[in-house]
Amino acid sequence: MTTLQDTRVRVIGEPRLLAGFDLGRLDRQRHHWTHGTQPDLTRETYTRLAESVGLRGRGGAAFPVALKLADLPARGIAAVVVNGAESEPVSRKDRLLLTVAPHLVLDGAVGLARALGAPHVLIAVHDAVAATSVREAIVERDDGVAIEVSDTPGRFVAGEARAVLSALEGGPAVPPGRRVLPTRKGYHRRPTFLSNVETFAQLAVLARLGSKGFSSTGLISEPGTQLLTIAGAVRQPGVIETPTGVPLDTVLQFAGAEPGPVLLGGYHGRWPARTDGLTLQRPDASAGIILALGSDTCPLGEVHRVAGWLASQSAGQCGPCVFGLAALVDDFGRLVRGEPAGWHDAQRHLGLVPGRGACAHPDGSARFLASALEVFGEDVRLHLGGGGGCGRPVRGVLPVPGGEW
Amino acid sequence: MNRLEIDWTRCDGHGLCATLLPDDVALDEWGFPVLRGREISAGAAPDVRRAILACPALALRFADR
Repeated sequence: MTTLQDTRVRVIGEPRLLAGFDLGRLDRQRHHWTHGTQPDLTRETYTRLAESVGLRGRGGAAFPVALKLADLPARGIAAVVVNGAESEPVSRKDRLLLTVAPHLVLDGAVGLARALGAPHVLIAVHDAVAATSVREAIVERDDGVAIEVSDTPGRFVAGEARAVLSALEGGPAVPPGRRVLPTRKGYHRRPTFLSNVETFAQLAVLARLGSKGFSSTGLISEPGTQLLTIAGAVRQPGVIETPTGVPLDTVLQFAGAEPGPVLLGGYHGRWPARTDGLTLQRPDASAGIILALGSDTCPLGEVHRVAGWLASQSAGQCGPCVFGLAALVDDFGRLVRGEPAGWHDAQRHLGLVPGRGACAHPDGSARFLASALEVFGEDVRLHLGGGGGCGRPVRGVLPVPGGEW
Repeated sequence: MNRLEIDWTRCDGHGLCATLLPDDVALDEWGFPVLRGREISAGAAPDVRRAILACPALALRFADR
């Protein structure tokens, strides 16, 4: 186990993205010793490789990389954008990669930019240590492609793909009102390939290993490894690299998680009804965030706290998100206090929020809250039963950042 | 162009669309439009186009796809 930037880093199986991490940050030389040089591949080869290993974006939406490549026009691609905003408050994998293995991420982004004929590589980062590491790495390289690092604000919605593009263009870090794909109209309204930090590191590994080598671990349907961030009621929180398809219970045991409910996919994610038999792969694993709740905190009170934070993270652009999430915070508050009307209003409001915003923040927040009401049905009964709730205090096991993070 | 779409970053909940197009738009409890999502027929298109032009926030439009 190694600790970097207060993040514990461990590996189940063979490290790929995190190869060589135990000696600290990989500078250019150590990067080459560990990974070898990045081969020059064509756009067709990248598309074929991504398709043959079923590579999906690692930012949460799990969109197939090959489809994203296929949607780009033949020429005129403005930029390759590395989204390192990592605005999910618990996630640490992307800033870890940028801090420890910046050259792997840059190899992936620059290699693809060359293959696509894109003149720019733009990297959006929020974490200051990660940004410094990438800037230092850029000085060590000579790629013949313009690479730029930009700092993004820490708001949840600022990590959304089109909000990142808007910020990179010098605009506000909020999603625009039209839902257009970056592959069609991205950076300055020109075709752009945008993906998450880990996706580019995976592309760099894939370019070196080829589809056969890449598929020597993990699932047949989605081979390779994945980065997970585990936190909450666990003895050893941190980032873990595992083969895809690893059982959730194995990861929970490995991190020393207390028994109890588990949240998958962060604060836009879901509470699975049971953890046994679940394996971690996309789309369910989303951006790889696992939060263990434990059993000595009030689940509904925890969810209420997160609801308040989610409402505070709305960009404030869209009425149903602003008013709907505020109403849901109030509903959950009344539910926790034992008022049945809170539960009824929550049911109605959960139907009024999804699909009614410029981005997926209302949808994701509603998904998280609706899943909680389903899985914590027994707690709902305890709270509404007139017995004064479930008898457990709200310990704040689900981290809610205050102010800047 | 056969369905309505709302630019949520522009909509301020004036509610004019629900008055002009009661068959296509309802209002939620905060006064924001809820689209019924049905196809706009060729016969209804002129009325819908007038309602789009009448939106004070320029938030109502045909979905271009």
